[in-house]
Amino acid sequence: MLPGPLLQVEGLTRVFPGVRALDGVRLEVARGTVHALVGENGAGKSTLMRILAGLDVADSGMIHFKGQAFVPRHPVEALRLGISMIHQELLPFPEMTVAENIFMGHEPTRGPLGWIDRGRMEREAAALLSRVGASVAPSRRMGELGVADMQLVEIAKAMAHRAELLIMDEPTSALSAREVESLFGLISELKASGVSVIYISHRFEEIFRIADEVTVLRDGRFVGSGPIGSLDEGRLISMMVGRELGAGSSCGGPVGERLLEVRGLSRRGMFRDVSFCARGGEVVGIAGLMGAGRTGLLRAIYGLAPADAGEIRVRGVVARIVSPRCALVLGIALVGDDRKGDGLVGGMSVKHNLTLASLGRCCRGPFIDPSAEDRVADEQMAALGIRAPHRDAPVEFLSGGNQQKVVIAKALLAEPNILLLDEPTRGIDIAAKAEVHEIIRGLARSGKAVVVVSSEMPEIFALSGRILVMRGGELSGELDPRRATQEDVMRLAMRN
Amino acid sequence: MIGPQAAGTWYDDMSDNANGPAGAGRSRLDWLRRYGLPLALAVIFAGLSAATPNFLTAQNLIIVLRQISINGILAVGVTFVLLTGGVDLSLGSVLALSGVVAAHCAHPGAWPLAFPVVVGMLVGCACGGANALVVTRGRVPSFIVTLGMMTVARGLALVASGGKPVSNLSKGFCLIGGGEALGIPVPVIILACVAALAYVVLRHMRVGRHVYAVGGNEAAARASGLRVGRIKCFAYVTCGALAGLAGVVLAARITTGQPNAGIAYELDAIAAAVIGGTSLSGGVGGVGGTILGALLMGVINNGLDLLNVPSYYQQIVKGLIIVGAVWIDRGGRR
Amino acid sequence: MRARAMALAAVALALAACGRPGPGAPTKGGADTGLVIGVSLLNLSSEFIVLLQRAMEERAAEMGVRLIINDAERSAEKQVRQAEAFVAQKVDAIILNPCEVEASSPAVDRAIDAGIPVVNVNSETRSAPSAFVGSRDEESGRIAMEYIAKRLGGRGNVLMMHGFMGQAAQIKRDAGAREILAKHPDMKLLAEQSAEWDRAKAMSLMENWIQSHGDKIAAVFAQNDEMAMGALIALEAAGLKGNVVVAGVDAIADALQAVKDGRLDATVFQDAKGQGSVAVETAFKLIRGEPIKREVYIPFRLVTRENVGEFLGR
Repeated sequence: MLPGPLLQVEGLTRVFPGVRALDGVRLEVARGTVHALVGENGAGKSTLMRILAGLDVADSGMIHFKGQAFVPRHPVEALRLGISMIHQELLPFPEMTVAENIFMGHEPTRGPLGWIDRGRMEREAAALLSRVGASVAPSRRMGELGVADMQLVEIAKAMAHRAELLIMDEPTSALSAREVESLFGLISELKASGVSVIYISHRFEEIFRIADEVTVLRDGRFVGSGPIGSLDEGRLISMMVGRELGAGSSCGGPVGERLLEVRGLSRRGMFRDVSFCARGGEVVGIAGLMGAGRTGLLRAIYGLAPADAGEIRVRGVVARIVSPRCALVLGIALVGDDRKGDGLVGGMSVKHNLTLASLGRCCRGPFIDPSAEDRVADEQMAALGIRAPHRDAPVEFLSGGNQQKVVIAKALLAEPNILLLDEPTRGIDIAAKAEVHEIIRGLARSGKAVVVVSSEMPEIFALSGRILVMRGGELSGELDPRRATQEDVMRLAMRN
Repeated sequence: MIGPQAAGTWYDDMSDNANGPAGAGRSRLDWLRRYGLPLALAVIFAGLSAATPNFLTAQNLIIVLRQISINGILAVGVTFVLLTGGVDLSLGSVLALSGVVAAHCAHPGAWPLAFPVVVGMLVGCACGGANALVVTRGRVPSFIVTLGMMTVARGLALVASGGKPVSNLSKGFCLIGGGEALGIPVPVIILACVAALAYVVLRHMRVGRHVYAVGGNEAAARASGLRVGRIKCFAYVTCGALAGLAGVVLAARITTGQPNAGIAYELDAIAAAVIGGTSLSGGVGGVGGTILGALLMGVINNGLDLLNVPSYYQQIVKGLIIVGAVWIDRGGRR
Repeated sequence: MRARAMALAAVALALAACGRPGPGAPTKGGADTGLVIGVSLLNLSSEFIVLLQRAMEERAAEMGVRLIINDAERSAEKQVRQAEAFVAQKVDAIILNPCEVEASSPAVDRAIDAGIPVVNVNSETRSAPSAFVGSRDEESGRIAMEYIAKRLGGRGNVLMMHGFMGQAAQIKRDAGAREILAKHPDMKLLAEQSAEWDRAKAMSLMENWIQSHGDKIAAVFAQNDEMAMGALIALEAAGLKGNVVVAGVDAIADALQAVKDGRLDATVFQDAKGQGSVAVETAFKLIRGEPIKREVYIPFRLVTRENVGEFLGR
């Protein structure tokens, strides 16, 4: 084995128009270790990883991999050298089989014409899959797999490339507790076999459990680095944000009239016979595992995928909600769980995204009043603390937390009385998370009914006045957060 | 500017600070992104001015403008559809159909002058509306729907004309294509009005903003309560109406309604829009760029004729210049 | 689902309504001979071909022959398929108006192999048909250019507008025109360019030529009337028509009217009616085994203001 670190990065700089994404960043990863990379969203972690994986090119700086200078210009170069990246948003080919996904780009072939050796491909794929502990047939269609299995397939793909450095970007953000455990087991095995892992996560308990070393970035700069044992959580947070954070508390203010009532709501294959109500001034938390039907429920109430049966009452009046437009007219707004999918128009500016659902209030007749629109946008950016270079910057250039705040602000501009939030803090950093929590509490204080779906137990407890738990498409119980524990929630959420 | 390019282009800046976010000094690529197309146009302009004395004369430039007016009107129309993420391949045939129908209403003394114009545009609207209906209600890809309309409208044009050009049009009608006002050809004035109107609609009106949103992310637009179907319908009908108008102008210019006019015009129109920075996948672009794109194509055509470049080579040169211009414009965009 | 079914039904109804009463059934004239001739035409959106078709239908009706008329829509491949279908239907003869010299040849071969006589009309194929009826396209170029030479007194600058480069008509009309130009050393071909048979394109081309050549232009020869009309309109708009002789080919209605009005100087008449009716007669004789001429050339005729009267309304 060669001496020295596996990966050494010095003075790496990457400038985007208007943003210094990386500014002289340093990173050193030893062989056979798990190296956590932490920092708020927008700190430059993703850019650094994209450069290492050959998806982007640095403007200046040095990268040494296995002791040799390394400037990947294309993902294939990085893969050949042994660097594989498991993306936060997985990028599979959903219509192809698992085996085809694993061997995409280096299919085993026979003969000079490149005839694909399907049998060999499936055999090798099966071997790799069993090595990563996935119980998936190589001939399954990728699109049929769940997130956890997809992730294992991606890791198997990295193994097929004989990766020596595996980059994992928020690998657990969509996994259940059990799946997280088996992923950690796999990471330990990989480590034992000499593979290094760069692990990006916002979840401290994970970092403290599996990381050997940690590097902290802030605003594109290197802040510090060291063995995980030399740090505690408070120290890590203050390195990340440059200040200490206070803990939030759940809100238990006065509760008003029943703004939203759902009775016997069902949609085939998603959820069955769900009934609950949300009053003005309260936050109702909905807990449950992935696939428990929570997202489908919110989408049905918002009219994106209307229910087959049951009724929705708004202020006691039965409402027929067949489209988001109907919902908005009735004062219902949704902040979805998929910012890129149906939350934002990526290419549009922050301002245009903010006013998208309520352009009418910035209009005179059919014409947009530019000064009114600017004013509305500035107000919202100030009110929610959206940090963007400018209101006219494309929204896709913002960090995840700020993007999320834009989605929330857009929903609020429609002036809803009932706000539905689906995983409002997924994939955003802790500082932004605290801000989003404060916004949600503020909404409830102002008399709105808020329904929050979250997979993060502390979040549910921090926000909710009541906790509803869903399991397998049905409501399995209701808990009072002041008396219940996380274990109580888990018991209701899991099958016996 | 909406799009992957951070800084935007000056001619279609959707943002109010054309300088973009302040930051590290503007790189060379950044500059190319912003000024690529005008630059390409300027280079070709300068080259042609040096190569032939007949190019840079007021009269010739007016002729260029007149020659781009038909393609320009079509290109502005198709910009709307492209912005929603669709495509309209039926333009050329709709143009022919509208031209033939308008010509039937334009015989001397038959109807007031405005009548054939309105009828031509209504025919275009009807075709656009039919496209929109199938695209939005039937969820058939616009490529297929408008490909079908391309054949149907061509067939209707042949039926409406009996396969023969419709001639004997009134003098007044022909002025729409051949007349002048203050030394400016009428088709150029029409194009200028169309472009100005489209610019205002796309930049300053609610429906224009919604067009961008639908093309940028249809799911997000729907989730924001936009009526996606109606917005698409607006784009296709606008496109059809402008194809109808172009058909009227063409019929007036060549003094007949030709059932086989406008074959492959849709491709020139789409090319002009794309050269002008409008994305084929929607949500990005605008009318200003489209006009520059049409201008670039018109200048190339005119210049090659002036230089007497043989036909075979003209085709090669045109193709290369068009691709080259887009290449410069998108230079370094990753 | 029901909506879709209804839409389909509507389309079917519309199609039924469009269908002519009995395709090409003899309507008047001669007693029905029971003979059937398959006709595949280049393109029914061309005015000349439409005239050809009408002439054939008229003659066929007089002779009591049934025609099955197909439009090949400029596709040689489609034309070959149509010929194959005729063979399968066991028609008595085939009249082919070929799309292309080479690519349409298999259509002739299929029919000859099956023992069905083939008459090529208006343009040629490489494979030899049973008979050919048409005009020599070179002749049209010669006639037009001769007229221009006469008007210019054998001296001056000429511009030529080509059709689609590489098509038989373009090649032959070009060759005929050049033949005459070669005989007149003082006539100079100032520029030549394709306007693809299209009036709007010809207009743009003429405008550009006016910019680069201005008052040096003495005459314009356009290889068809559509382009000649485009050139004419552009010249009139520039106020130059008085100095420039313009001639076209085909004698379409618009061009004839323009000749009558003294705007267009000349066009060349290609006798669609003659070609169509002779083609049907020849096919009829072939079926009956009567003697025929293997090649019949219908002459072109120059049309000027003096004789335009006899062509108008033909």
